[in-house]
Amino acid sequence: MDAINQLIEFFPYAIMGSIIAGVICAFLGVFVVSQRVVFLGASLTQVSIAGVAFSFLHLINLEGFLSSLFGVEITHDSFFHNFEPAFFSLLFAVICVLIFSQSYRQKYLTQDGILGIIFVVAIAIRIMFIQKSPMAEVSEIEAILKGDILFIGKTQLYTLAGIAAITIFLFIIFYKQFRFVTFDPESARAHGINSRLWIIIFYLIVGMGISLTTRFVGDVFVFSYLIIPSSIGILIGKKVYHVFLFSVLVGAVIPPISLYLAFKLDFSSGPTAVVTSFILFIIIYVVKKIRS
Amino acid sequence: MKKEITSFSNVSIGYGKKIVLKDLNFSIYENDFVGIVGPNGSGKTTLLMALLGNLKPIKGSIKKDSLRFGYVPQRDIVQPLLPYSVLDVVMMSRYSLMGLFGKPSKEDFEIAEESLKNVGILQLKNHNYKSLSGGQRQRTLIARALAVQPKVLILDEPTNGMDTPSHYTLLDLIARLHDENKLTILLVSHLLTDVANVVKRLILLEKEFFQIGDIDEILSEENLKKTYSSEFGVTKIDEEYIITSKHKN
Repeated sequence: MDAINQLIEFFPYAIMGSIIAGVICAFLGVFVVSQRVVFLGASLTQVSIAGVAFSFLHLINLEGFLSSLFGVEITHDSFFHNFEPAFFSLLFAVICVLIFSQSYRQKYLTQDGILGIIFVVAIAIRIMFIQKSPMAEVSEIEAILKGDILFIGKTQLYTLAGIAAITIFLFIIFYKQFRFVTFDPESARAHGINSRLWIIIFYLIVGMGISLTTRFVGDVFVFSYLIIPSSIGILIGKKVYHVFLFSVLVGAVIPPISLYLAFKLDFSSGPTAVVTSFILFIIIYVVKKIRS
Repeated sequence: MKKEITSFSNVSIGYGKKIVLKDLNFSIYENDFVGIVGPNGSGKTTLLMALLGNLKPIKGSIKKDSLRFGYVPQRDIVQPLLPYSVLDVVMMSRYSLMGLFGKPSKEDFEIAEESLKNVGILQLKNHNYKSLSGGQRQRTLIARALAVQPKVLILDEPTNGMDTPSHYTLLDLIARLHDENKLTILLVSHLLTDVANVVKRLILLEKEFFQIGDIDEILSEENLKKTYSSEFGVTKIDEEYIITSKHKN
């Protein structure tokens, strides 16, 4: 009980943040897994980190640009300190998503191949950006870039809550369009729904959710919580809303439990969250296999 | 005189700059029942996409009445991982009629159920689409197309990969929808015998060859040779066409 009390006392935002991040990833993961674009999740996490690394180069004077655009003076305060990396992370993710959403237009490469190229190039340019960064140690920058659940503070928590609210709200508002175009884009188009536009919007929302969440909880957490909870949901859900319900439930419950385990057993929080959800996945898979 | 619902005038269609079909001139009429056949890769699906408005012509013009189209895709392209129910799938086509923020009404559900009843699978409405047989899936997709209450029903290779009984009951269903619901039907297939005995008019397609007309005038050995680059025999016994290959190994 002591460990739980200490955890609640020292890391209240981390606990709540991990729940919200788990919910965002699990929710988006249902779409990513059911669309068979799992590697998009992996690529987007790396692209987002590359975006953050790019912001450390300070090649683009974002404050100057925004000042001239809106005709106001912007001082480099703590808001901008957080805004700039998030902005470039988002920008990189949006570019990646726009490229990916148009990949069906060409027949030379598979979508997997394109995502593989994006994935490896994102890692490579991240390393190059870090090497040229004016900041000190490469290992320190890597740690900042990849985020950590335990570093979640009040601001990050509110931001995560905002991302969760916007993402889920947009998917609820436009569930009809997303449902039809992700199920059968050709027929959706034939029946008067602009499939191309809705697929771009769909991937943009997924990209924004993944990109911003990666910034706060790290790529390992995001990628695994995109896949594992939704896979559990698909394994046991008999109706579509069951799949969402189980996925989100796993995404919400496992991160705080794994935080406790990491705290108690002195492991890193991200990998512990992944392994805990994986153990649950294996148990559910084996039980399902035996029962069927 | 029958009302024209779609007409192609000197139309060339394709992808990018690559023309797949060129100089098409034909019309589709109200309560028509047209089969579109040709070998694999001849441009059948491309023609369908142009008819649906999903593909703009590279040249010429396509005039379309403001009629509602119902589309049944090739069954294999719909492979969901999520456990959608049969009713969920049928309801999807109603979404296009609800506007950006509209929600399904009681009437929408009634129409979807009526469509399922029309294709004989209302009892499966709560079943998981993934658990259905090929024939049942195809009926679900037809019900989905019917749920928009279309005037024109377009089916792309509906009998592909089906066992023989399902194959023929599905063709009977399509013929019934034409007769009883007065639907204009465009049926695409690479199986000539499928189409020959159910449709009234036929389009024979091959890259440099396009013929359209009543089945009796189009279904000749000469036209089939031009379409398939192979010898066929066409015999009519008791109002039924029997098409045999003369090709010998």
